[in-house]
Amino acid sequence: MADEQKGVVAAGFSLLWRRQGVLWWVFVVNALCGALGAAPAAIRTAHALHHSLAGQKLSNGFDLGMFVELLRLPDVELMRYSTTSYIFAFVFFVFMLFVTGGILETYRQDRRLNTGDFFAASGAFFWRFVRLMLLSIIPFVIVGMIYQALSKAADKIGDRAIADQVGIFLGWGAMLIFLLLALWVRLWFDIAQVRAVAQNQRGMWRNLWKSWRITWHDSRHLFRIYFCISLVAWVTLVIGLVIWAHLPPTALPLTFLILELIVFAQLLTRLWQLASATTWYQRHAEMVPAEPVIDTTPHPVEIVETTPSPALDLPPEDPGPVLPAADA
Amino acid sequence: MKRQLLLRLCLTVLLWSAAAAAQSPFAPEVKGPLSQRVVAYQIDAKYDPPTHTVEGTETLTYHNLTGQPLDTFPFHLYLNAFQPKATWIHEAHRDGSFRTSSLATWKPEDYGANEVTSFEVVGMGDLTKQMKFISPDDGNPDDKTVFQVKLPQPVAPGQDVVFKIKFKATFPEVIARTGYKRTFLLAGQWFPKVGLWWHGQWNCHQFHALTEFFADFGTFDVNITLPKDYVIGASGVQVSDQDNGNGTKTVGFHAEDIHDFAWTADPNFKVINDTFDGSVGQVRIRLLSYDSHQRSWQPYMFCVKESMKRFDQWYGPYPYAQVTVVDPPHGAGEAGGMEYPTFFTGDSGWFIPKGFHFIDLVTEHEFGHQYWYGMVATNEFENAWLDEGINSYTEVKVLDSMYGEDASILNWLGAQLGERGEQRFNYLSAPDFDPLYRLSYRDMSMGSYGAISYGKTASLLLTLETIIGEQTLKNALHTYFMRYRFTHPTSEDFMRTVNEVAGQDLSWYWDQAVYGTQMLDYEVQRADSTPVRWFDENLKEKKGETEYETQVILHRKGDFIFPVEAVVKFDNGETTYVRWDGKERWARYVYRKKAQLESVAIDPDYRVRLDSDFLNNSHVTESQHGAVHKIATYWMFLTQFFAQMLSWLA
Repeated sequence: MADEQKGVVAAGFSLLWRRQGVLWWVFVVNALCGALGAAPAAIRTAHALHHSLAGQKLSNGFDLGMFVELLRLPDVELMRYSTTSYIFAFVFFVFMLFVTGGILETYRQDRRLNTGDFFAASGAFFWRFVRLMLLSIIPFVIVGMIYQALSKAADKIGDRAIADQVGIFLGWGAMLIFLLLALWVRLWFDIAQVRAVAQNQRGMWRNLWKSWRITWHDSRHLFRIYFCISLVAWVTLVIGLVIWAHLPPTALPLTFLILELIVFAQLLTRLWQLASATTWYQRHAEMVPAEPVIDTTPHPVEIVETTPSPALDLPPEDPGPVLPAADA
Repeated sequence: MKRQLLLRLCLTVLLWSAAAAAQSPFAPEVKGPLSQRVVAYQIDAKYDPPTHTVEGTETLTYHNLTGQPLDTFPFHLYLNAFQPKATWIHEAHRDGSFRTSSLATWKPEDYGANEVTSFEVVGMGDLTKQMKFISPDDGNPDDKTVFQVKLPQPVAPGQDVVFKIKFKATFPEVIARTGYKRTFLLAGQWFPKVGLWWHGQWNCHQFHALTEFFADFGTFDVNITLPKDYVIGASGVQVSDQDNGNGTKTVGFHAEDIHDFAWTADPNFKVINDTFDGSVGQVRIRLLSYDSHQRSWQPYMFCVKESMKRFDQWYGPYPYAQVTVVDPPHGAGEAGGMEYPTFFTGDSGWFIPKGFHFIDLVTEHEFGHQYWYGMVATNEFENAWLDEGINSYTEVKVLDSMYGEDASILNWLGAQLGERGEQRFNYLSAPDFDPLYRLSYRDMSMGSYGAISYGKTASLLLTLETIIGEQTLKNALHTYFMRYRFTHPTSEDFMRTVNEVAGQDLSWYWDQAVYGTQMLDYEVQRADSTPVRWFDENLKEKKGETEYETQVILHRKGDFIFPVEAVVKFDNGETTYVRWDGKERWARYVYRKKAQLESVAIDPDYRVRLDSDFLNNSHVTESQHGAVHKIATYWMFLTQFFAQMLSWLA
């Protein structure tokens, strides 16, 4: 099982690497959103600091007192510009919701889709994924409520304990459970997305139910895959922040590079999860050969050797109707 | 019989004197009395942990040193503040308060109370029925934090009166500097305490949400009975520890020349002892903490000793034999960071990252109170700035000297914060609602009280250094401490002392900074260089050869008039200093040189801490990109990171 899991994780990474163009595009859009989100604040800061020596307190170190002053002064009021950041973060969220169909189709076909095909696939699944995303609110809220309850219990127990570690460790335990449950929900909905693309499923309730059964049936294996990749994300985040903390305060280009690498690593691991989910699905759960979502032009065939799927005790799938170009 | 009685009395006095000498409350080279000792409290108290109550008998001897007959005596019953209709709760709910996070989940079982069950005056009989609650500050009939008793006959000047009071104190779950948490108890403001005759009248305010306390100096002999397994610490020094044979013990404490008495107990306390060699002999440091806080023990001791060293050198000696430091358990934060005479509580946890000087910040602050609250003992109800503010200033000075100006609070992940910076943005959070001179308990809100009592005072004293010099201000504080310790000075006493030591009349400064709410803000309004022969069409500018006229206009934006210094730099390396008295709204400075302006900076080292905007203090000709790029980089990263986290839900 461990070898197989390693195989899926490695194959997922290999797929991600072969189709790295997707990752770069996502990163570029993310960076663009970040830059646009930061632009008004940067302009405002420039207005206040370009001809002031006070800025040296921030460039030759990072004097929090001066930074708070910058945030607070009526002429600057930097926090006002955080709204722009939220807007662009939301734009990126919608973008990801939109392109996930294209990304999964790229991974499914394991070939470079041309721009038209990519966006056609993205469009074809957009509203289905919007529905899935809305449905995901229900389990995420439940997970959130579980966390609240655990957290309260941890506080209560911690409050009665003599040593303060008890409460803190219990709180961390509650947080870990929350993260793992949330990861499981994400895994379930990722499988639903992969399945929707692979089977060109339209009914998202039904798809969700079948995905639940698939995920539940092989949850240990799948969860390990997701957990391992998440671990890579968390470790790279911590390493990145530690490196950043040790950089000289004036090494701005290096700081920029490290921070961007952190973001890149986070996006990479996320797409790695999607690639691994696709790989796993193709190896283990794909019962019905998928019809192409988009009637693409013939292309040079890349032979992808897939191992025969071990028989899963799944109900037979509907092959689905003849596919339109998009159901958006 | 009489002789026998006399003999027994003499023996008792001798034994007591011997015990007292062995357990002197003073450092070796100090001999009391240090104060007028208006009051002498003898209290026998019994603590019942399950009900969090103390039943006590208090014998209070009051020496009438007022110079006039007294027939009315007011007393504080502070724990009654923690009742729903009390003024304290009303104010805390309305204006906010420190240490009231538990108000959100406040239940009747968490209320506190002080009940006087019997009030007798020796020679005048039982006056329990004469007790009357009064509300001198707000007339709230439901506030029971002050009661008054009218005696049948006045106490003549120079005479003593002895009160015998039986009382019961019910502690709330930790709130506002007192209370219990699990097995931990911080007993503060727990016994009936007489008001203070000050400036010809009784000064006995109700307990208010914003402000603290004020009381007479005297002696305290307190015996506390509690379960045997409890570890106890208190003001003063421990003089006895007797096993009662019934699962309880009685521990005796003695203190002289202090104005309040607090104690703490918990069976889980660990005691860590250390000593400090001060200028008047060795002082014992007794830390009561927990196993889970072991990492904090060393920082506590380090900070107490470093603070004691600096206070001893800069302001005067710590005259007591002991200081007791309490590290409250987790969840008892509202008992943390509080001062009582020779006793204070800190604040820590099992993990504080390296670079956070949080333990030092609280410990230094509370130790500093031993001087300004404990010995100088100003009126905290009315002039909070004299205690909290001067203490915040000395906190800046001590922490700066320990960790450096720019990182005395925080030096972590590339970010720094100095204590002077923290005091400044505390001040700027609510700088002009209340003047310092206003009765502190009447300040607009907790925010305003905190901003001016702590932040503004620290900032105004740091700013004052630019006028009279750092060393002169240090000398002034030394003189103020030595002259007024144990005497309850006023705001005027403080300002007069600074004027005297500085050899200047600083009324112009006090008028604005203490009595007023004016804001101080200077800016470089204009700074540029133009060729003198600007009209010459054939002019070719050449560095070092072309003559320029440089204009600098400094502008006083705020109403606070303050002399400032500006540094003008030219691109040939020349530097000129400008000193402007700031009396006019603006001032123009013109220079003709074969050099162009490089930069102008008012107060280039940011010493005028009252200046409300440092960003407009300077103008530099060449664009400065470093800070802008750094903020843009961080902002972009945060936006990207948040965006990718959000997209995880897609």
